Amino acid sequence: MATGAPAARANDRIAIGVLRHLRGAAAFFVYLRTMLAFFVVWAIIAWWTSNSVLLPSPLAVFAAIGQLAADLELFFHAGISFARMVGSLMIGALLAIPLGLAMGLSRTVGEVVDPTIEVLRPISGIAWIPLALFIFGIGNALPLFIMTYAGFFPILLGTIAGVRGVDRRLIDAARTMGIPQRTIVTRVVIPAALPSLMVALRLGVAASWTAVVAAELIGAPSGLGYAVEWYRELLATPQVMAFIAMIGVLGYLCDLGVRALARLFTPWASDARSAP
Amino acid sequence: MGTINGSIKLRLAHVGKRFDAAGRAATVAVDDFTLDVAQGEFLVIVGPSGCGKTTVLNMLAGLDRPSAGSVTLDGREITRPGPARGVMFQDYALFPWQNVRGNVGFGLKHGPAGAGLASDARARRVQDCIDLVGLNGAEDKYPHQLSGGMRQRVALARLMANEPEVLLMDEPLAALDAQTRLILQDELLRIWGQDRAQSSRRTVVFITHAIDEAVFLADRVAVMTTRPGRLKALIDVPLARPRNDATRASAEFQALSQHIWSLIRDEAYRATVT
Repeated sequence: MATGAPAARANDRIAIGVLRHLRGAAAFFVYLRTMLAFFVVWAIIAWWTSNSVLLPSPLAVFAAIGQLAADLELFFHAGISFARMVGSLMIGALLAIPLGLAMGLSRTVGEVVDPTIEVLRPISGIAWIPLALFIFGIGNALPLFIMTYAGFFPILLGTIAGVRGVDRRLIDAARTMGIPQRTIVTRVVIPAALPSLMVALRLGVAASWTAVVAAELIGAPSGLGYAVEWYRELLATPQVMAFIAMIGVLGYLCDLGVRALARLFTPWASDARSAP
Repeated sequence: MGTINGSIKLRLAHVGKRFDAAGRAATVAVDDFTLDVAQGEFLVIVGPSGCGKTTVLNMLAGLDRPSAGSVTLDGREITRPGPARGVMFQDYALFPWQNVRGNVGFGLKHGPAGAGLASDARARRVQDCIDLVGLNGAEDKYPHQLSGGMRQRVALARLMANEPEVLLMDEPLAALDAQTRLILQDELLRIWGQDRAQSSRRTVVFITHAIDEAVFLADRVAVMTTRPGRLKALIDVPLARPRNDATRASAEFQALSQHIWSLIRDEAYRATVT
């Protein structure tokens, strides 16, 4: 009895684990089935056009992916772009979060800075590339700048909204305990704004990743955008599409990563829908 | 009508509160409101929704300033929130990123209530308060993992941990189901210390719209009228303490409840049709 019960429980746990994997696998197959239709349509159109420069067949693209992966070229450029994205996101967050906190907390700061932000925000990062080429030349600095610029605004606006949206009652509760203003900011406002901040970070990652190709297409000697441009000049469309696919996959993985971070840092926000 | 026993702890003298809205006529939430609360008294304010009960409580808490008159604690003007007056909010206002222990100990850790307390003394007081409300075993749970009744217990423990002289409670039981509510009424009186002498009890101002709850808890009931919020009547509740289920069943309890209902029935009716 004494040994039987834990063993049975362990078996249950394994069974639950297997079930979960099966359900995951089933979801994956449903996903594949949906994608299959996409690939079939693509294959038909490719066969119809029969011009491998305009539109190569899915098989040619898969072959290119396999070959580029085997050469590690795919991962080399992906790693560089990913590192640039992480770097630019860190710079962007370091600039945008403190500014957002200040703008959200102080009406005066908000009113002074807001007009500048609102004028700059609609200008796409791409519009700055010619000017940035003069200033930074070709190298790491240009894509870093463009990607930081792209990620900055979503993070800033999300931080401001998060700070302004903090439940008034939580601040009141802290005030009635006699807690000083500064401690309220660090111990109530910031943690309460953290879930919106994580959403802002997600949007920032998406924006800065979208800018990667444009920034590297012209301004960098390496990275996914550069590789796309390089193989375009060689008219190697399967390779071009392999890198484009990599951009999509890596962007999706980045989003999953930020969501995992959000679950880790703000378990109360993703765990339950009902706010206490 | 409404006799004061003992020294005066809280005093609202001719208090008025107007909310000015740009481009519209100002709303008078509270008008010429005068009320004294004795040390150790359990005072309950009842009135239909929108009668300005919460505004009165916010002014006592120091979260709102009166537009007219004065609000004092021990003769000193209340100008801002302070740890001497603890507040329990209707929607709990627990910190969702803190577990039960973190919520209860929040004021001790970051506020003046814990100043001069060693960390082990602080931890002991937090644990005592958690035990007091019957939440031992749930110390590491987060608010979203708790039921409404348990959240309210956490809020009560958080309030008690700071050892305020005055407890201000804004419809703390309103969101609970009827059974949980009765249980927490009993618990509240136990924790308040209804067996103790009045001088060693804390002063409580409790807001509710439930008349039976008011009669069960209160030493005195203040009845408010709507728009503008005014004091309509002050009613002594001479029911013996400690109170329990027998109190709820007594004829005296029923009669008092009926009397208060007769005072606010017309108001409450009008509030449902306008």
